[in-house]
Amino acid sequence: MLGKLIKFDLKYGIKIFILLHGILIVLSVLGRFLFMDRLSFDDPNAALVSNVALFASAMLFLLIAVCFCTWLIITFRFYRNLFTGEGYLSWTLPASGVQHLWAKIISGCIWYALDCFIMAGCILLLVTGNNVTEAYSHIAPEFNTELGMSLSRFALLLFLIMLASCPLTVIQTYFCIVIGQIFPAHRILGAVAAYFISNFVIQILSFALQIGTGFFPEYILVGQSGSSDQVGMYLFSMIGYSILMMIVIAAAQYAVTHYIMKKKINLL
Amino acid sequence: MPWELDNDRPIYLQLMERIRHDIISGVYRPGDKIPSVRDLALDAAVNPNTMQKALAELERSGLLYSQRTSGRYITDDEKLLRKMKMELASEHIHQFFEQMHHLGFSDDETLEMILETLRREQNGNDS
Amino acid sequence: METILECRDLTKKYGSKYALYNLNLSLERGQIVGLLGPNGSGKTTLIKLANALLRPTSGQILINGTEPGVETKRIVSYLPDRNYLGKHMRVNEAMTYYNTFYDNFNLERASQMMDSLDIDPRSRLSSLSKGTLEKVQLILVMSREADLYILDEPIGGVDPAARDYILQTILTNYNENATVLISTHLISDIENVLDRAVFLQEGQLVLNASVDEIRSQHGKSVDTLFREVFKC
Repeated sequence: MLGKLIKFDLKYGIKIFILLHGILIVLSVLGRFLFMDRLSFDDPNAALVSNVALFASAMLFLLIAVCFCTWLIITFRFYRNLFTGEGYLSWTLPASGVQHLWAKIISGCIWYALDCFIMAGCILLLVTGNNVTEAYSHIAPEFNTELGMSLSRFALLLFLIMLASCPLTVIQTYFCIVIGQIFPAHRILGAVAAYFISNFVIQILSFALQIGTGFFPEYILVGQSGSSDQVGMYLFSMIGYSILMMIVIAAAQYAVTHYIMKKKINLL
Repeated sequence: MPWELDNDRPIYLQLMERIRHDIISGVYRPGDKIPSVRDLALDAAVNPNTMQKALAELERSGLLYSQRTSGRYITDDEKLLRKMKMELASEHIHQFFEQMHHLGFSDDETLEMILETLRREQNGNDS
Repeated sequence: METILECRDLTKKYGSKYALYNLNLSLERGQIVGLLGPNGSGKTTLIKLANALLRPTSGQILINGTEPGVETKRIVSYLPDRNYLGKHMRVNEAMTYYNTFYDNFNLERASQMMDSLDIDPRSRLSSLSKGTLEKVQLILVMSREADLYILDEPIGGVDPAARDYILQTILTNYNENATVLISTHLISDIENVLDRAVFLQEGQLVLNASVDEIRSQHGKSVDTLFREVFKC
């Protein structure tokens, strides 16, 4: 049953997903061959810097947009399939609420993970031209000491963190939607409120965590001035803690979602 | 085409009347097999259980008999069919006279009018 | 006779308002039952409770002896009172969907019925007229070999020809061991196909009797009786 549900969840978003990521890939390929490969870093001037800055922000915007659309696909599928007219069919399939929840979590994670892989691939494609790697090799040693590790290792770690955050984001989204369902008169408002409140709680917790673990932001200034800590190390231990915290929070959110899906759903 | 049914009398009674009428008037011949409950119900656009009840009642009256495996048949008891036919006919006649009474005609007047009508129809056919 | 649906002191509250109040009802297999009542009498609430779309506030509802859940969903075929299929779907995709999830779905029968109505299986649900869409949904629901069919307002808002088709489809497809529960406020249209009429008013049972009982006892049709009981 779980497999069947996942199959139809994936089928639902596949066209728009392929379209979005197709556009992203095409633009990245064009960017690499029409823009990046033509750059010359031999004589840096103001025009080069502003061009690169413009291109980088455009790409960044594109990546964020694609990522956001992927999130929308996942969110809409969950909401539409379970809590609108379609819910009348979904909830009367011989499947339990918990099976529905897992099908949506797994399909959501699959979309997000694919999204991460494609985005990482596009970024790699953009920055691996000979001219770029050549230019970077001049500043690599400096960068490495600053980061405390090689750039590729840094990028890989970032990528892994992104992958790890997929299920967390998915669960948080579903949590908010399901909380919204408890307020029959204001379902969407409830979901939005749940989002802001849970984010607020997360902020407070991470602030407390920062103080508790001694990673208060002023350390970052110390790090940058080059005295003791290295930026990379600082970042990763910081992110490590917050991932740990996010996992705990996601587990709690999952428990609540699980309970509501099992016991409390009332379709009106 | 759904059968014409009245609103105020039990449906199974009306189904019985309709089938009895069809048998007596020769739509179904003596000894014929009649359609299944399901087909009859669909034809009449009524509930199969109601049709089943109507057929069971007709069976009790002897107009139908069922063979365990092959379905229901019209009786080939000509005497019974004849009797039913007479009963139905006299029922109609009674109803007719009653309505004429309501209109204020006596039995004799009614009879005279019937004969007159018949005579006129025959003349019409001849010419 | 075996009971297929049973309510014991079933109560459902929305906020402070009772949609159903201490409802006791028992329906047997092998009949077509009309669930009748004016708007807001609790018909849809009862139906949703039977399909586990709502949870009772108190009391119990049992399908074939068990509370609504995965097991009862296998044997209950439900037609909601609204469009419940994704508009992006095609007719054949909807059939595949049913065939994938319901073991008792008869794909061949459904395809035949679609063919006999000249419905192109490749057409999108969003392109169908309202009447055709209702027929498609009914065909999907009636193509399951279920123990309990629950049809919420199947003839609301369709023309008389479509109504006849819908009633014919119900009569052709249900089997003697199954029960069909039809909710409607258009009683005269379906009166002849009903075994039994259940009247609800303000969340409570007013009457539960066979159609022929009503006619012989009251000397009037269920429709006329209904109008008298619920006179404004």
